[in-house]
Amino acid sequence: MAERNAPVILVEHLRVNYGRRVALCIDQLRFDRGECVGIIGPSGAGKTTLLRAIKGYVRPTRGKIEVLGLNWSMCDRSARRRVQRRIGLIFQQFHLVPRMTVLQNVLCGRLGSTHRLKSLFGRFSAEDKQIAWRAICEVGLQEQVHQRADTLSGGQQQRVAIARVVAQQPEVILADEPVSNLDPVLGAEVLTLLVEVTKHHDATLILNLHQPALAKRFVNRVVGLRDGRIVFDDLPSRLTDDQLQEVYLGYEPTPLYRDDSTAGRSMAMVGA
Amino acid sequence: MDFVTDMMPPDTTGEILAIGWETALLTLQIALLGTAIGGLFAVMLGLLAANNLTPEWVHHPLKVLLAIMRSIPVLILALVLVRAVGLGPFPGVLAIAIHSVGNLGKLFADECETAFEGVWEAMDSAGANWWQKVRFAVWPQVAPQIVSLTLYRLEMNIRESAVLGLVGCGGIGFYITLYQRSFNYTCMCTMVLVMLVIVLAVDQLSVQIRKRLT
Repeated sequence: MAERNAPVILVEHLRVNYGRRVALCIDQLRFDRGECVGIIGPSGAGKTTLLRAIKGYVRPTRGKIEVLGLNWSMCDRSARRRVQRRIGLIFQQFHLVPRMTVLQNVLCGRLGSTHRLKSLFGRFSAEDKQIAWRAICEVGLQEQVHQRADTLSGGQQQRVAIARVVAQQPEVILADEPVSNLDPVLGAEVLTLLVEVTKHHDATLILNLHQPALAKRFVNRVVGLRDGRIVFDDLPSRLTDDQLQEVYLGYEPTPLYRDDSTAGRSMAMVGA
Repeated sequence: MDFVTDMMPPDTTGEILAIGWETALLTLQIALLGTAIGGLFAVMLGLLAANNLTPEWVHHPLKVLLAIMRSIPVLILALVLVRAVGLGPFPGVLAIAIHSVGNLGKLFADECETAFEGVWEAMDSAGANWWQKVRFAVWPQVAPQIVSLTLYRLEMNIRESAVLGLVGCGGIGFYITLYQRSFNYTCMCTMVLVMLVIVLAVDQLSVQIRKRLT
């Protein structure tokens, strides 16, 4: 394992193209252990692409991405899978298995570490169950443990998803718009929980967020993306209105009011 | 209306009813076994034929194979198989199984293709391998539909199986043609009624089971 002060994630001279469109162009970006980073930016700025590139789901057109000491473009498949297992993902739409219970869903976080064949028959070790139970306690869903996931509210579902990631015991947690489907109060609760869980497990958290105000409240570093480039990277307290303007200029006020003609154009360019 | 009066009243002597019951049971068994075997293979081939679960070179040829299997009507399959493996229920079971694989396999593959992709990615992210992803991301989403479609296929197969008696696969269909050819219309009527009762009973059972699934 890499020494303590080595970066958890190191991105250098990265370029990701979708067809002829440049989705990401980052000269250098580094995340250290224990950081809680919020990535802000308008829709289509490359936030999701960046997270997926870090997870190793998006292949860079050029450049290097090193996660937990492993360079994605210079490793074999099994090394890649081993490291990917140490990176947890949280999604906007939770992506739970609707017909399974909370416990079964959280146990899915153990799939990478448990006995593969036994898991196919729904059998998990006592250790797996203990880890899952502790994760469920951490997100406060002890009472719903045998309830089916599709009977839970949105906030509870996202808690299950967080418990599933906790059960995975990741060193990096990537959350892609984790609270965009929740109302502001629930959203704040879920973010508080995510930050707590990250600290408790000594992990690194990278959050994609639409709302800069939320980002400022919960993270200790903000990265602003615009058209695939970093236009801000500093403490949240240094994020002034002028800088927000720079990140969101031309996209404001919110993505809800986005001009459909530009959306159509960018889609066409992706297809090209 | 002569044909109706010819059939009235249906022959309800114990002997005829016993024949009807026994042969209807055989027809039912042919359908059940054929559907079970067909359903089992359909699950395996259906998963592999889903374009979101396997690479192109796996799912594409399989889709073609399934299309061929379901394009041949059961009756014609049975005719050919009776020549190949001899008279009796076995070719009937095979014919129903083969047709069901083609039919159900395609429906299962379609079902898998509509399964929610995000769950698949969430499982992949947790380090699940292909089998685990199929088991946890796809199976829970498609299983109720698979059971329901298989039951529906069973209903159809029972009717198909009754017809198979015509080409030498035994069962109640054989006696229906036998009595028809010997102008024994009252006995034929009994057979048709027995068949009707069995089909209706299975339909009702399957409706009840499918109701519970949702």
